[in-house]
Formats: sequence, C-alpha cells, structure tokens
Amino acid sequence: MLTSLLAAACDALAFLPFESLEPRFMRRALLALLLLTPMTSMLGIQVTHFRMAFFSDAVGHSAFAGVALGLILGAPPDSAMLVFGVLTGLAVMAVQRTSGLSADTAIGIIFSAVVAFGLAVVSRSSSLGRQMSQFLYGDILTLGDGEMASMACLLLLLLLFEIVGWNRLLLMALSPVTARVQGIHTAFWHYLFAAALALAVMFSVRAVGVLLMTALLVVPAATARNLARSAGGMFWWALVVGVSSGAAGLLLSAQEWLATASGASIILVACAWFVLSCVVKKLRK
Amino acid sequence: MLPESRQPRLCPTAPTVRFEHVCVEAGGRSILEDIDAVAPAGGATVLMGPNGAGKTTLLHCLLGETAYTGSIVVSGASRVAHVPQQLVVERGLPLTVEEFLALDLQRRPVWLGLSQEARQRGLALLESVDAAGLARQRLGDLSGGELRRVLLASALGRDPDLLVLDEAEAGVDVHGERLFWEVLDKARNARGFTLIMVSHNLPLAAHYASHVICLNRKLLAQGPPRQTLTAKLLLALFGVPIHLYPDQCDLAGPCCPQCGAISAPGHRGRLPPAQADRSGPGIC
Repeated sequence: MLTSLLAAACDALAFLPFESLEPRFMRRALLALLLLTPMTSMLGIQVTHFRMAFFSDAVGHSAFAGVALGLILGAPPDSAMLVFGVLTGLAVMAVQRTSGLSADTAIGIIFSAVVAFGLAVVSRSSSLGRQMSQFLYGDILTLGDGEMASMACLLLLLLLFEIVGWNRLLLMALSPVTARVQGIHTAFWHYLFAAALALAVMFSVRAVGVLLMTALLVVPAATARNLARSAGGMFWWALVVGVSSGAAGLLLSAQEWLATASGASIILVACAWFVLSCVVKKLRK
Repeated sequence: MLPESRQPRLCPTAPTVRFEHVCVEAGGRSILEDIDAVAPAGGATVLMGPNGAGKTTLLHCLLGETAYTGSIVVSGASRVAHVPQQLVVERGLPLTVEEFLALDLQRRPVWLGLSQEARQRGLALLESVDAAGLARQRLGDLSGGELRRVLLASALGRDPDLLVLDEAEAGVDVHGERLFWEVLDKARNARGFTLIMVSHNLPLAAHYASHVICLNRKLLAQGPPRQTLTAKLLLALFGVPIHLYPDQCDLAGPCCPQCGAISAPGHRGRLPPAQADRSGPGIC
C-alpha cells in the first residue's frame, strides 16, 4: 500500500518541468529528499535548542560501526545500522544524564568508541571498502523501496512527535527544572528525542554521507533563526530552507555543466541560504 | 507586627510547607544538616544565607531535584510553579514573549499558531506583572528585569498554590528588582498562594517577606523578619556587621559604621523605640 503510494508520488513528480527528472531514479531521489529534509529540518531546530550538533555527529559516525556489526552478526547491514544508531543515541543520552560528565565529554567518549570499533572492523575486512565510501559520501540515488517506505513512516511519526512534543521540548531546553515542575517527564522526552534524531541521522547518512549529515540538521535551523521573527516562524522557515535546498541541490547536481555529488550540492545550496539569511539579518538591523 | 499589606491573605488551597530534619550530602560533604523549618500557608517565605549556605539546594529538595533524607511535607498543594534564576536562552532565538507564555497555555504546538485564548490569557498575565508591552518582544531582547517579570507571568499562568523562586531577581538593577518584588507581592496578595524564594537582597526581603528562614548549612533562625533579622543574627549569618532596622544600631553617634549608610544625612543611630517601630528596613 505505502510502496504503491510512493510509486504514484514518484510518477507524479514526472510532471515537474525539469529535464533532469526524466530518469526514474532521479524522481525517486527527489521523493526521498522530500521525505528526508522535512525530518532533518524539524529536528534540527531542537538540535540547535539543545546544542546537540555534536550528538548528531556521534550517532552519524556510529553508522559504519553498525554496518560492520551487522556483517559480523550476519544481520542485514541497513537494519543493523539503524538499530546500532538508535542504541548509540540512547547510550549517549544515558551517559549524559547519569554520569555527571558534561555533554561534549560524554558524547566524545561514545563517539571515539564507535568510530574506533568501525575502523577496527574495516581494518580486518577489505570487502567493506565500498561500504566505507557510501558511509562517507552517501548516495541518495540508491535508496531501496524498503528504505523509502521506512522514511515515509518515520516522517509521519516525527510529525506526530513534533505536534505533541514541540512545546514541551522547547520548555525543557529553556529550563529543565521548570519543565519538570510543570509535570513534563523530561527523561522520557529526552530519550524519545534521542531515538527520533538517531533514526533521522541514519537516513541522512545514507543520503548525504556522514561528512555532511550534520549540516542537513543544523544549517536550515540556523538559517531559520536569522530569517524568522518568531519561534513558530522559525519552524516554517527551517522547512522551507531544508526542503528547497534538498530539491535544488539534487537538480543542480544533475546539470551537465555542474555534475557534482548530490549530497555536497544540497549542503552548498543550504549554506547559500544561510549566507543570504545573514545578509537579511544585517539589513534588518 | 507586620503592616496590613504584609499580612498573608490565605487562599483555601495554599499549603504549609514543613521541612523536617532535612539533610543533604554530596561527595561525603554535608550540604544541609537537619533543617527543621516551616513556610507558613499563604506567606512569603524568603530563604537567606551566604553563598553555599544550601538555600537553592533546599529549594531543589522541595522540587524533587535533589535527593535528601528527612521529609518535606507540603500540605495540600496541587499546583506548584517555579521561576528559575535564568533561562538557557540564546539571544538569536526568535521566541517571542507571547509564544513563551503559550508553551504552557495551549496544547497546540506554537508553530501551528497561538490560540485566541492563549493570546488573551498571556496578555492578562503580562498586565499583572506590569509587562503588557512586551508580548511581541523576543525573549532574548529583554532586559534582566523584564525577563524576570515574564518568567513570573509564566509561573502565575499555572495558577499556583505554591510558587517557588530561585533568586529570581538576581542580576537585575535596583529599579528592576524593586519592581519585581512589588508585582510579586501584589500577585501573592491577590491570589493568596504560598511563596518560597531565595534572595540575597536583605532590605527588600525584610520589607516584603512575611517569614524568613536563615541558613548556613544549618538552620540559624526563622520567623517574621522584624523579629528574626537582628544585627547579631546577620553577623553570625554573613560574618560582617549589618543591620536592617535603625533601632538595631549599637552606636549613638552621628554615623553608624555598621549599617553601610555612614554618610547618610539624618542617620542618627539608635532611634527612640516609638520611632523605631514605625521605621522599615530601609525601604521608603
């Protein structure tokens, strides 16, 4: 059902007046970005509120260790990557909440552990070389039907999460003690947010690679901060910047005169948005 | 005897808070030792003491943020509100004051817009803290005093029976601090909630509080400010000679080296008892 809906959406994209969208794999890639970028844009706002860019980096870097672990255990690499990413996110949150260490120290420890584990496995198996390249640079053009369906489900769940949890999460970011006094179960929401972010990060790694994944979260939110006059406005601006960067970056990367990697092009467009937002902010002052 | 305006007006649901043998230890070090104190129902209780005395820790025990032994009994409080010392807010965050208030006034996420009810309620709350003109301002653009009043408005939005403030007026200029205490006092008198707060401002606390709890890891004294905040106690509490009331001057000369107003014209040391009874703790 969901797969056929996505296929129909993919066909509908053929009506867009862009020559580069004629190949079906390009339309699938655009659809994937239209599913992924709203997630990263929405969560990116909370990433900036909670100052968790480094957290996303740690979870992103766990992707390769997850793939490696999947191969060792004989589990499907993509599923292993998702599960391992979520577990890493929850572990970071648990260490952060319970150890008394500062957030960056807690994240740094787990970040080092997962990267070292991934590299140790790679050093024993030369067949992981191709996976390593995909992990570093991503490949939005090769997402399978299962991954697309998973992204669509995750988008719906995250939308629900943002409707129910947005006010609570912002209050938690502003004053955790006050939030708890007001009856917000901060531990529950922290872990739920960590798991949601970890899932979005894992799909972002598949799309743009671990090197650029954090930018997909942070740049739209940072741009939105510059452009918006209210917190509500910031949410919508982040969506506009994230989705438009995804679409424009993909289309630009397919142009013969440019012929660049899609992930890098997407982030460059987002960064151009950010520069523009800085100019707008300056002019407003 | 407290002035009429300082008398707590009891609201039926305002709780009495009893701290019974409260002890807190951290890393083998004692933070609070056997605190036995009461915050009367409907009163304004101020926790006083030097830095590191355990005032905020005691508040955090009350809020369930810090583990302790002993017990804290809150009789009948159903709604507790907290005003933090600070918000973790970056200047660049485009969160407006009305949006901030709406975070707790509406279920709908703020990005789907503010409900008419939340908007009106928020405005009424801002008016109650003398901040009606701030609704569209960004939180990060507010002055220290304005931000504290907005935080107070947000807490009042919960219609609390018990309001807990952690040095909520700290870092604010003299005018802002005075205004904050005034709106807080007005709100307490109008609504009758029990107030417990930490403050370092001795004259204002002495003026507005109905009850003080003086701590320095241990309980040193508690009671109405006029009877409790003696020069002897303040010396024991802070280690420096301070007095809050003119009749507490030990010297009868033209200047008092203890009261910090050495060159104040007209300061005449110990006043006659009749005059001393009418004089407040340096607040006109």
